[in-house]
Amino acid sequence: MSAPTQDAKIFAKPTAAKRAEKGVFWLLRLGTYFVLACAVFIFLDIGIKGGAVIFQTKAPFINLPFLTQAPETLNVFELNGKKTTMGDREFRAFKEQHADQLKGVNIETYVYSAGGIFPNIVGTILLVVGSIVIALVLGVLSAIYLSEYATDSPFVRFLRLSIVNLAGVPSIVYGLFGFGMFVIALDMGVSLLAGWLTLAFMVLPIIITASEEALKAVPKGYREGSLALGATKLQSILTNVLPYALPGILTSSVLSIARVAGETAPIMFTAAFVVRDELPWQVEKATDFLFQGVMALPYHIYVVASKIPQNEYTHGVQYGTAFVFLFTVAAIAMTSIVLRVRLRKKYKW
Amino acid sequence: MSQITGMPVPTAQPPSVRPPTREALLSKRRGWFFGLTGEQAAKLLFQGNATISIIVLALITFTIFSDAVGFIPQNRENLEVYRRAGLELVDLLRGQVQDHSALARYLSAARQAEFARLTAQSHTPADANARLEAYDAFADRHANLIGDHETVLGEMTDLVSSLKERHAVAADLRAARQNLIDGMRTSPPERAAALKAEADAMVIETIDFANEIQPLLDMRPALGEANARLAKALKELNAAIPAVDDPALRRKLVRFQELNTRYVGEIAETERRMMTWDQAKPIGIFESLSAFAFGRKWVTASFWQDWYGIIPLFAGSLLIAALALVIAIPLGVAAAIYVNQVATPVEQKFIKPTIEFIAAIPSVVLGFFGIAVLGETLRRVSQTPWLDWVPGFPMLERLNSTTAACLLALMAVPTIFSLAEDAINNVPRSFKEASLALGATRLQTIIRITIPAALSGIMAAILLGFGRVIGETMVVLLCAGNRIEIPDFSAGLGAVFQPVHTMTGIIAQEMGEVVRHSIHYRALFMVGVVLFLISLLINWLAQKIVRRYRISIG
Repeated sequence: MSAPTQDAKIFAKPTAAKRAEKGVFWLLRLGTYFVLACAVFIFLDIGIKGGAVIFQTKAPFINLPFLTQAPETLNVFELNGKKTTMGDREFRAFKEQHADQLKGVNIETYVYSAGGIFPNIVGTILLVVGSIVIALVLGVLSAIYLSEYATDSPFVRFLRLSIVNLAGVPSIVYGLFGFGMFVIALDMGVSLLAGWLTLAFMVLPIIITASEEALKAVPKGYREGSLALGATKLQSILTNVLPYALPGILTSSVLSIARVAGETAPIMFTAAFVVRDELPWQVEKATDFLFQGVMALPYHIYVVASKIPQNEYTHGVQYGTAFVFLFTVAAIAMTSIVLRVRLRKKYKW
Repeated sequence: MSQITGMPVPTAQPPSVRPPTREALLSKRRGWFFGLTGEQAAKLLFQGNATISIIVLALITFTIFSDAVGFIPQNRENLEVYRRAGLELVDLLRGQVQDHSALARYLSAARQAEFARLTAQSHTPADANARLEAYDAFADRHANLIGDHETVLGEMTDLVSSLKERHAVAADLRAARQNLIDGMRTSPPERAAALKAEADAMVIETIDFANEIQPLLDMRPALGEANARLAKALKELNAAIPAVDDPALRRKLVRFQELNTRYVGEIAETERRMMTWDQAKPIGIFESLSAFAFGRKWVTASFWQDWYGIIPLFAGSLLIAALALVIAIPLGVAAAIYVNQVATPVEQKFIKPTIEFIAAIPSVVLGFFGIAVLGETLRRVSQTPWLDWVPGFPMLERLNSTTAACLLALMAVPTIFSLAEDAINNVPRSFKEASLALGATRLQTIIRITIPAALSGIMAAILLGFGRVIGETMVVLLCAGNRIEIPDFSAGLGAVFQPVHTMTGIIAQEMGEVVRHSIHYRALFMVGVVLFLISLLINWLAQKIVRRYRISIG
């Protein structure tokens, strides 16, 4: 710092240190807002280009066929000097009637580029609901045991450590596990059940850790007060611990829903089919329901992003799917963040 | 309900029905569920669930390891066939021939450059060709010298690959017969008899490798003579370097002379290795494992020989992760410092959730964004003329390590940001206040006091960010270019724009197509084990750092 000069005033010229501070703070600010700008750019890019596919200016303002039909192959051909595009079903009907018009016409086809993404949405919902139910039941009950019943033995400490460590294992490794264990060793094949279990076990460590934390955050006095009044352990857990821990558990479970919905790697070879004509409920026996592969949104994005060319015809399905998927997952995550902020305000001990 | 759980619910029953307090306290509750009280049953339920979770989590580790461990004997067998069938010997010769062609390519690349220079100097192509006549004669002479070797190599390759083919057929038949024999045990007698007949009818060749490759070994003396001729001719060639005007080309020719001399030296070395090559030399477990851990080639479904070396994938993962961290660390830490120390409360309120929100973007969407927008944008930028000085620009490929790294950086920022912000937040207020009271500016306080105090937490944040990046699959699968090669840094930093393949990417790409329990399947599990161990190591390190350097707040 420079020594004060003779004519130093209260509002002296900023010293070198002050100027450096200002510069560095601006750099930090720039970095922070750059990150935000990147995120906003991605959201806007997919929001605008995908929104153009999903929304339309005419009533009902939403591109319903895209959300309610199965993916189809798109046929592009020149008819009477006009570029015509048709989905596969429409094209077959057309071909039967106007076979003569199509003679010698060059037809280009783009897979998955017509129709919609309905089976994918259904598949994703099924996967998420099933795996979250399994994970929540197992996870929350385990957390209650670990937090309320287990004594602090070396074994329990080791368990906690391994659970924390498993939370950091890459999702593809869980996919590998699910493939080796459920698909091959237990011979479930590529199926809904294998996907459920794989996804459930992927989020299990996260749910256990978060739920245990929520339970631990409830002050000891609540339990002691209840026990002192003659309640049993179970009673005090049910009436005096769980209700206060529930918001925290809820937040973490909503976040794990977002995680489960957003993951692609674990379902790639345990549950996802590239294409399947029947919808999940079109099965012969009820047990087949569990042992069928499903189409899923994230896997569909992977397929349409990597396996088909980028052009004006494929553009729609790519951005439309990404839009639906991104904003669904974002909405779930947003719920979780809002919940947490509100709960933090509500419960302060 | 009250009966089931054994607890009276006050609102459900009028007070008069309630037993007197004394009785209630002293009476023994009857078990209703296998002699257990509700209390005990509930505990058992919780315990049971915890046990299931633990078993499952243990199973994960077990499954991955048990499927991976079979790789070692299988790869040993794979390498053994490689040696017994003589593929190894042929590859020695192939290496020699390929080195020669590399030199030939060097000459032709030099010619191309010279030709371009000449035509740029307003020589007509015909004129330029005429000027290079002596050079072309020289290059042709060099290229023709390897002819004998190529013929021998071709013969050897045919012999050996047919041998390997026969071995593979025999192995398949053996497996089929084993299947039949296994089937016999479970099927009814008459069917079993049919199966037995079928199994007995199979003719399975037992290949005597030592005998079969004798012709291969007999080719070696002739090859030795050819080598002597080649060495002599190359030495003569070195003395007959054509005279050229251009100093650049002359320098290249001098360099060629050096390389050629080295090549001549290697001929003798290769010959020695071929002569001392031992078909019967055993291959140990360790060799099989090190072929995986230090193998520089990942080649699958090849007609010649499959290699499962993790180095190219590991290098690719590491390169991408390092690049991503180079971008993400400054941004993440800067954002953490800014939000915690500089930003106004209003800014804090929206920046924090927004950055945490980035973590919720599904990776496959980011990967798609990379393919659809970022890859092309980066390539356009790299093609602008005034950026020519950047090594590696213009990019050759739209999808490369840098494209993937940029997106991964965006995924790592929230992790680094949240944890680093937490760490900075945990620095006691008094530290900061003391520094400010001594007259330090806010920046000085941040650099000298706050960051050093939070350093362990920031380091842990960076480590966990690294873990997130190295385990990410979809972005690298979609955007890294998927070329299985070790990034070549000999050309300078431009290597960061080369396409690579990664450990996570290879599992995602190849797992769907492999045969169950084949060597390839197990190799992918081995890669999974490596990923698993890396993530455990990172977690352990992060915890250790935090624990060891945690500041004690007295």
